[in-house]
Amino acid sequence: MNVDLPAGVRNFSYAQDMAIFRTKAHSAWLVIALVFLFTAPLYWGDHWLSVANLIGITIIAVTGLNILVGYCGQLSIGHAGFIAVGAYTSAVLTGRFGFPFLAGLILGGLAAGLVGIVFGIPSLRVKGFYLAISTIAAQFIIIFVINHWTSVTGGFVGISVPPASIGKIMFTSQTSQFYLIMTVTAIVIYLAKNLARTRVGRAFVAIRDNDLAAEVMGINLFHYKLTAFFIGCFLAGIAGSLLAHWTGFMNAENFTFMDSILYIGMIIIGGLGTTIGPIFGAVFIRMLQQGITFISPILESAFPSLAAGFTTGIGPMVFGLIIILFLIVEPRGLAHRWSLFKASYRLWPFSY
Amino acid sequence: MPDIIQLVVTGVTVGLVYSLIALGFVLVWKSSGVANLALGQLLLLFSWFTYAMLVQKGFPLWLGLVLVILFALALGWIIERVILRPLIAQPILSLITVTLGLAYFIQGVVSFVWPKSVAALPHIFPEEPVRIGAAVVSQEYLWATGISVLLFVLLSMYFKYTRTGIVMRATADDQMAVQACGIPVTKVFSLSWMLACVLAAVGGILISSIGGITFGLVEAGLKAFSVVILGGLDSFLGAIIAGPLIGLAESLGGGYLTPLTWPGIKEIIPFVIILIVMFVRPYGLFGERRIERI
Repeated sequence: MNVDLPAGVRNFSYAQDMAIFRTKAHSAWLVIALVFLFTAPLYWGDHWLSVANLIGITIIAVTGLNILVGYCGQLSIGHAGFIAVGAYTSAVLTGRFGFPFLAGLILGGLAAGLVGIVFGIPSLRVKGFYLAISTIAAQFIIIFVINHWTSVTGGFVGISVPPASIGKIMFTSQTSQFYLIMTVTAIVIYLAKNLARTRVGRAFVAIRDNDLAAEVMGINLFHYKLTAFFIGCFLAGIAGSLLAHWTGFMNAENFTFMDSILYIGMIIIGGLGTTIGPIFGAVFIRMLQQGITFISPILESAFPSLAAGFTTGIGPMVFGLIIILFLIVEPRGLAHRWSLFKASYRLWPFSY
Repeated sequence: MPDIIQLVVTGVTVGLVYSLIALGFVLVWKSSGVANLALGQLLLLFSWFTYAMLVQKGFPLWLGLVLVILFALALGWIIERVILRPLIAQPILSLITVTLGLAYFIQGVVSFVWPKSVAALPHIFPEEPVRIGAAVVSQEYLWATGISVLLFVLLSMYFKYTRTGIVMRATADDQMAVQACGIPVTKVFSLSWMLACVLAAVGGILISSIGGITFGLVEAGLKAFSVVILGGLDSFLGAIIAGPLIGLAESLGGGYLTPLTWPGIKEIIPFVIILIVMFVRPYGLFGERRIERI
């Protein structure tokens, strides 16, 4: 734990050792970052605010997936499906039944969590590939239900969602939604960081490393695996609810199988089992998407001889390639690089 | 009732093709412990490649098919050598996700090279429909059945009588022992990938000659997983028997449940079967029941 502390900083109590902010510089950086983040609408245009909103929502979803996959080791390739459950629950509750937004948000999370528990039950008997397949099945079944339960979900056409509101405050502009989404994101990151340090989080890690050994040590697998599924999918539901109220209109096209793979890719790229990993992964992939949508029309007009499928094909190709490369070259993800960087800059100019 | 015969014939045929694809999966899983989730995308890629050879380049049928098989062999070798060799002995999580990355990549390549996303293969088989009792069955189905059964027979003979076949079975049984006997295991891995790709190519051609080339092929590949799960992950026999079962469930369920429930129920029957198997008998009909020790 102490290896990445700057020179001269010593801990004299367990409380100090466990603290998230162990130096004054830590706290100062956090305040600076938060101030920068929450004044961002002053100098970012609407486009970049919407990108930031999407990134915030993605971070919430990927943090949930990271708890499930990175900490507890239960591979889920149906995350987009669970996000869809939250999104549709919240959309239907607020849009048709007039629930307040906050109730929709929480109930969306709970609904996704419960669906996650149902599809997570096989994890008690199977793991690895089997679990991957049953979560894929979950993804397709959820999307099928959404597409065909037309009376509630709007079917293939889609469903329009009222904007979020708390009391009298309506979150209609990108700026106001930015504050809403960033607040939720910050809370989620804080909770996730703390979850990893509690009894539950340590039980998750034990299960990931060897679930049989964990069980022998007295960890109730039934309880903890389903808890992991619940937390992971609850966060997916929260993200889905925010996504629904942010976009205002959606159909099942927003929650495809390929998206599920992309979420897995984000935690791989960011770094499994770290709190900062999902942030890196989400920012990296979303910025890459921005870059590709920005650059592909330019390339296309510069080189007219390019194939017609260039714009649609280049994105998946790049993402697939990056996932493969990260797994081969840096399986611990950007988070590992980040900690290497921190360690070296703290010790600089000494090499040890 | 001609209806039911029709449904049974369709179901069994499509199921046999699923078996064929599933066999490719089982091959790789048994020999190297890699779960190939890119199966659907491979089907898609090979179908488009066949289309490119036969329609876009206009090669004669025999040459086109030979080129497709060669391409499949080469691609299988490349995938194993470039992507999976560096990941030997990595945790299963990496092995699964790397094939997901591959799936993503192949999907990108397909929409890059063939942007029109829907096409039909030229008629490889005679078009004259055949009457079985009261049912009218188009010949493609019968040919698909015949080719699948033929490939099963050939494969089982290969595993039984040839040296490489025996080596592959031995690797599936105990990698360490095979290595200790001085057999290069990595060669077995690449061989299994090459064979799996050829099976995917044949399965892809058969399915797309029946239903055309669409992104639905990806789902056909995912449905092959339900065959694998139902039959047992490490059982060749299981894959062969479970395929027609899944196909039957799909076509009969589609035929009789659609009026009662939502249209398109056919598409998710295999996924529902996966979940049922997971709850009831996770190691499948013929799979080996794993006993874990610390």
